[in-house]
Amino acid sequence: MRKKPVIDIRGLSKYYGDVVGIEGLDLKVYPGEIMGFLGPNGAGKTTTIRACLDLLQKSKGEVKIFGLDSHEDSLEIRRRTGYLPGDFGMYNDLKVKTILRYLLSQSGLSDESKMLELAERLDLDMDRRYGELSKGNRQKVGMVQAFMADQDLIILDEPTTGLDPLMQQKFYDLLREERENGKTIFMSSHILAEVEEVCDRVAIIRKGRLQVVEDISSLKEKMGKKLVVEFDDGVDPEIFKIDGVKDVKIEGRWVTMIVTRNLDQVIKNISKQNIINMSLETFSLDQLFLTYYSSGGSGT
Amino acid sequence: MNLGNTIVMELKSNWRGYLVFILVMAFIVGGFVQAFPSVAGAFEDDLKGSEYIEIEVEDGDGYQDVTLSWDEVETADNYTLKMGPTPSMLVPNEIHGIEGSVHTVRLEEVDGEIPEMYFVIVAVSDGTGEFIGIETNFDRAEGLIEFIGLDYSDLRGVLSMFWGVFFILLIGIYIAYISVNSVSKDYDDRRMDILLTKPISRRQYLLEKFSTVSLYSLMLLVVVGLITVASVYSLGELDTVSASTLFNTTVLSWPVFLVIISATFLAAVYLENSKKAVGFAFLFVLIQFGLDTVGSMASGMEYLKDFTVLSYWDHEALFYGEAVNWTQVGLLFLLSALLIGAAVMLFEKKDVPG
Repeated sequence: MRKKPVIDIRGLSKYYGDVVGIEGLDLKVYPGEIMGFLGPNGAGKTTTIRACLDLLQKSKGEVKIFGLDSHEDSLEIRRRTGYLPGDFGMYNDLKVKTILRYLLSQSGLSDESKMLELAERLDLDMDRRYGELSKGNRQKVGMVQAFMADQDLIILDEPTTGLDPLMQQKFYDLLREERENGKTIFMSSHILAEVEEVCDRVAIIRKGRLQVVEDISSLKEKMGKKLVVEFDDGVDPEIFKIDGVKDVKIEGRWVTMIVTRNLDQVIKNISKQNIINMSLETFSLDQLFLTYYSSGGSGT
Repeated sequence: MNLGNTIVMELKSNWRGYLVFILVMAFIVGGFVQAFPSVAGAFEDDLKGSEYIEIEVEDGDGYQDVTLSWDEVETADNYTLKMGPTPSMLVPNEIHGIEGSVHTVRLEEVDGEIPEMYFVIVAVSDGTGEFIGIETNFDRAEGLIEFIGLDYSDLRGVLSMFWGVFFILLIGIYIAYISVNSVSKDYDDRRMDILLTKPISRRQYLLEKFSTVSLYSLMLLVVVGLITVASVYSLGELDTVSASTLFNTTVLSWPVFLVIISATFLAAVYLENSKKAVGFAFLFVLIQFGLDTVGSMASGMEYLKDFTVLSYWDHEALFYGEAVNWTQVGLLFLLSALLIGAAVMLFEKKDVPG
């Protein structure tokens, strides 16, 4: 039996006047997992995260974190939650270490060991003023403050914005370590590769509504594989009429199709004709995402 | 646990500006007090030329006899008396051919009042005139005092004018500005999200910000009060207005600034945008000042003062030794508490803009 969810969102809606931010959103994030939250700009990712953190008032629904109400018990929740917003800002005139010490003390802590360790690991110069830092270095400050209090849940909104590829890898390693240490991580992203690399599950949101929540591997499985075949001559379309084969496109000698089931039957059928070339591709999350959106969210 | 952290952070990030303003105010206030002797001297100066004419007035029923006398000029054929309501003598009444060095003129009442006039004596020789002197039938300083409402030959009058205008405007606008920025900068610099996802309540956040600006304003007033006392002491004028009166009058303006701070906090929370909130804060201070000034100077418009918090701090009465009206002080504290309470309630309910 699965453990109780760390984040339990039920029927969450947020309206801005007549504009729908999110509507009827249900989502659970379980302890010790990294949940990716995918969607294009304006889909409702940040709104969902901010509603979880009580920065926005909910229009409908409920959000429980650690089994506590996100509004009524927000102080207790915040004691146990680290957060990195998508647009992180701080005091431009102050040194990084002054800022981080202040934020640490705001969490009621004084032990700086993890703060110092993270700063060293991310090559963050603590003696520079925040206003003098590049965008990437400012993001590092945000990352350090999100993880330094060693909290049970870390919520990250587009966390790798501005980081160079090397630093992104360091960040992914950090996420994996935190997961191994039992932390739960909920991160939004539009970088599909990073979600694919570090997340256990993914939730896809579109126009404020949740489209799918799935293990990445089973989502890929469900989405099928792309089969491309080159025949030496014309091809009989009837041989592709198999349950589990869709989106068949015939262009001269080339045929492409999506195969979700009965791959063996497909192979048997096409092998009745002369094959010159054939490839079978697993969808990357990128392609999966585009397929999902181009199909209007049905995933088919 | 983390109580007071926000206060410490406010001071760390703003101490330079706070310190500079205290120094500027200390310089302005100290300098202004030192300028008192020359202000008073200029105010007391008599008319140039009045020393050459003696004047005696005798009031009768519906008239006033004004007798002017002067030293005779040997070469004068006779004298001309010019009279007018201003010293410029534009379109004066003139009496020509006066013989001797004494002349009496009768002024009739106009609308129940004896006209206030300037009198100029000119010696005439061979058809040319030579100015002898000028005098008035009224006390010029008293007229000015009546018009302005303050006696600048008295230190208390000068202090009342300064405290009522520059003090309120300078400190009021600066305090309003730092109050707004205390909250709005957290929105503008995109750090509100982080600050409000730490385990401190929105109420604590706002009240600590309010406490910082309030305590700073009190410290500013204490410094200004001490500088004023020192500056008046150096003039040897503590007999005119005591050290405790000077200090208390200054520091007792604190509740007025608390109202300004809480009103601007409410605006900052409601508007969320520093430019709009600063605009509101400046307007709030200027409207308060404008209503108080017009209400004080325009007859029949005294009711305007009822709409300004400044009328609850009667600095002029305090400088002139009247007792502190603690009811008014209490009302200002109450108003401030209501405004900051409203700001907290609004802040707790509002979405934090992303």
